[in-house]
Amino acid sequence: MSDGVTRTDLEHWLQVFAKQVEDNKELLTELDAAIGDADHGVNMDRGLKAVLVALEQVPQATPAALFNKVGLTLVSTVGGASGPLYGTFFLRFGGAVGDEEPVPATQFAAALRAGLDGVVARGKAEPGDKTMYDALAPAIDALDAGLAAGEVWADALTRAVDAASAGREATIEMLARKGRASYLGERSIGHQDPGATSAALLVASANEALHDCA
Amino acid sequence: MASGEVTGGVGIVVVSHSRALAQAAVNLAAEMLHGQQVQIAIAAGLDETTFGTDAIQIKAAIERVDSPAGVVVLMDLGSAVLSAELALDLLANGTRDRVVLCPAPLVEGLVVATVAASGGATREEVAAEATAALLGKTAHLAPVATDARPAAFDEPAAASATFTVTNAHGLHARPAARLVTEVRRLDATVTIRNVTTGSPPVPATSLSRVATLGALQGHQVEVAAFGRQAVSAVDHLRSLAERNFDEPTDAPSAGTAAPLERGVADGGPLPASAGIGIGPVHQLAYAAPQVDEIPAGPPTAEWRVLIEAVAEVRRGIERIRAAAARDLGDNDAEIFDAHLLLLADPELLTAAKDRVAAGASAGAAWMASVADVAAQWAALPDPYLRGRADDLRAVTHQVLNAIAGGEDAVAAVDGVLVAQDLSPAQAAALDPARVRGVVLAAGSPTSHANILIRSHGIPAVVAAGPEVLELAAGTTVVVDGTAGRVVVASSREQLADYEHQALALAEQRALEVRDATRPALSIDGVRVEVAANLGSVGDAVAAARAGADSAGLIRTEFMFLGRAQPPSVEEQERDYRAMAEAFGSRPITIRTLDVGGDKSLPYVQQGAEANPYLGRRGIRLALVRADLLRDQLTAICRVARDTPVNVMFPMVSTVDELLRARAILKEAAGDEGMPALLRVGIMIEVPAAALKISSFLPHIDFVSIGTNDLTQYTLAAERGNPSVAGLADPLDPAVLRLVAEVGHAARGRVTVSVCGEAAADEAAIPLLVGLSVSELSVSAQAVPAVKAAVRRLDTQACAALADRALQASSAAEVRSLVAAANTASPAPRASRRPTVA
Repeated sequence: MSDGVTRTDLEHWLQVFAKQVEDNKELLTELDAAIGDADHGVNMDRGLKAVLVALEQVPQATPAALFNKVGLTLVSTVGGASGPLYGTFFLRFGGAVGDEEPVPATQFAAALRAGLDGVVARGKAEPGDKTMYDALAPAIDALDAGLAAGEVWADALTRAVDAASAGREATIEMLARKGRASYLGERSIGHQDPGATSAALLVASANEALHDCA
Repeated sequence: MASGEVTGGVGIVVVSHSRALAQAAVNLAAEMLHGQQVQIAIAAGLDETTFGTDAIQIKAAIERVDSPAGVVVLMDLGSAVLSAELALDLLANGTRDRVVLCPAPLVEGLVVATVAASGGATREEVAAEATAALLGKTAHLAPVATDARPAAFDEPAAASATFTVTNAHGLHARPAARLVTEVRRLDATVTIRNVTTGSPPVPATSLSRVATLGALQGHQVEVAAFGRQAVSAVDHLRSLAERNFDEPTDAPSAGTAAPLERGVADGGPLPASAGIGIGPVHQLAYAAPQVDEIPAGPPTAEWRVLIEAVAEVRRGIERIRAAAARDLGDNDAEIFDAHLLLLADPELLTAAKDRVAAGASAGAAWMASVADVAAQWAALPDPYLRGRADDLRAVTHQVLNAIAGGEDAVAAVDGVLVAQDLSPAQAAALDPARVRGVVLAAGSPTSHANILIRSHGIPAVVAAGPEVLELAAGTTVVVDGTAGRVVVASSREQLADYEHQALALAEQRALEVRDATRPALSIDGVRVEVAANLGSVGDAVAAARAGADSAGLIRTEFMFLGRAQPPSVEEQERDYRAMAEAFGSRPITIRTLDVGGDKSLPYVQQGAEANPYLGRRGIRLALVRADLLRDQLTAICRVARDTPVNVMFPMVSTVDELLRARAILKEAAGDEGMPALLRVGIMIEVPAAALKISSFLPHIDFVSIGTNDLTQYTLAAERGNPSVAGLADPLDPAVLRLVAEVGHAARGRVTVSVCGEAAADEAAIPLLVGLSVSELSVSAQAVPAVKAAVRRLDTQACAALADRALQASSAAEVRSLVAAANTASPAPRASRRPTVA
């Protein structure tokens, strides 16, 4: 237990996320093959590997600069819609996380919220559209609610992971209204959304990497 | 395809998941360019083979093709759109404002956007053209779809609204075209009916049907919409109606003008486009082209013939529209939108398709379907709307020509074209390689059609009277567009004489061009500055290359027209700086925003005026919208800190106006004070200002006489009105006396320049120089000839000639004085005037 999220913790989060995406690359691609263009796993993996390289190029960066770099790297290397969406998420996250470290828990949560707002602004997704929003938004809501209720960081994070998983599962029954999956109409029902799946990994990796911070 | 040369046009960025796809689409579009240059950049794929889009790559591509004209971005799907939006976020503020993300389908959109951009269209126009690109295909593949729509008419509308038509001529072709265009962009089924006449609803996507509503000024019209974007469709139409369908509130412009009347009896024939043309008479016939009644093949083949003909005509009109938008401005170019919409009209095409299916030939089916619409239009109660059947006829004939594999009537003319009058579209379609000259029975030298003829460099005489229509086809005639004469050659010798003159003129022109970059000194060694009138950075580069000594009149309104928001200070600064750079260290003269009258802007609210030319225009409007003026002056001051700039205010009539404008200039200059390299002047366009010149002099460094407006205000004859064209002659002694008043008072105190058409009129130049004018500002293409004219002058003789002209009683008398002086002076001048009429 420390008093916030350090730069090392933040890097660790990204490393864990990259690892989880790598481990789940086949799953993500398979999910995308059912309702999209079968490239989500490959794209995300390529983008996050590039992020790991980029992290080494900016050893002295502040948290804000670090995530700016992460965002721009994803934008240039992912290729699919996840590029601008995750890119915007991290760019906005970087804009709100500040230059100081360690980052207090509430500020970390606020930065997640800013990232989510960026995703909404970019993708114009609404709840129930069967997108990454449906996993990410409940998770951040749960984190905020937990912190507001005075829960300790670790408990609030656990709640967020549960909410993300539930959100991800909920996308199975949804009718896709955004992206290429929406071209399938009714046929998109019954398939788990790959974007929501990777977004749940982002939350789970935060829990794994940051559980004992703050 | 990015050219090495800066063209100043709109840049295009192609965003795709696939680099190969983007490259192929660009190659396809390049086929439409025929050597013209358009800046196109590709941001596609993560590399040669990996699909994906990259916002950073898009940002870089935008920056590569960025110019003050801006950039239009076309995208394929999904992440391409998201990445393009993100790229916009990443761009610098100034650049971002110039970028339009265009929702057009990539391939169709790119082809059309490329054509529009090569024609000099603005970024908004390029984007709109591209967005409309799908219309043709939609009409081709599913014209029947609209037939299903009436079923929806009985359902309760998801949204509806009623508005009153305020346009002077009702919902005629142009406003109707705006309405149809707007509706087609939205995902909604929209119907419209005339409540006042109790008409049934018609589909708002059909121009031919909307026109049959007969909606006149004051009529109540109801729109009803169904579908996903029903509400926004109704909102759009309501605000469009409130904006008068983007039509200026004054009289319709030349493109839609009512049939022209003959010029005043003693006004013609008038010289309209300089030069001598010799060739056989070709009377422009309005007879319908030949139609093959018997189908050449099965219905599917006939349908293909028809639809390909329609597409070919559309492409031609799109090219003309882009050129007209550049040369005449947006409002006048919009008449072509009506033609384009007719060619994509689902009602018309469905009717034709049905006839083809029933066994008619392509031509017969088209003619019969158009005839139905024409009959509906002809039955309309309003004569103005009835007159719009002309638009239909023009388009019909073009399609029939295309079906027959022939050329457009006008494009196919060889020799000297003789007609009652020409529309701007016909003028634009003239082929300068084939048309030796133009003779119009009616028309005016200042009409839009004539401006286009002049831009082709075709000699022309207008207001020549109905007798020219009697000239037998094939008769060899001489069109002297410099003197305003049409001569039927009576002998071989006479013809040879004219041919010799035409040849001499061409040789002389070549010499003039060669000498254009040297200063223009009169015989007695007096320097007359020959500057250029221009409206864009591209013009500035071209003018400097053509030999202009400086920029004598920069019409800044072109930067303000055709956009939803005024340009920012930074944007203006960048353009002014680029214009200054084009002229090296020579001064540029910037006229502050001159709108009102015939030019209006969407973000400048102007109430309807009964007499816009006598209303709130020029400095009068600028003082009301001090925010716009202050921004513009701020940009000008910034540039004037580094390079010499002259700023002048238009339409000044009182000293008080000047002082108020100067106060705003002082504010704009800020704490650093007035820039050392800035000179301040006024335009003399109002007779009152000319007569009070002495009161203005203490407050200014120069004056520039706008002879076009000064002439129309002095003679109370609007220059755009062909029936009084003969009166508005800048050589009228009254106008010359006003110029003399200014020249006399200003001599030795401030410089006097002239920036109207008179400055390029070789009959006017000696008089202006004789009246102490020391700078002539003309179109770039006139610079070589004007410099040559100055080099033939003796300023003492000019002063004496001007003295006599001031005592003359008419413009005709002045012209004969000048002609006599020319004849008296030694060659080369004398050889330029034909003596036989």
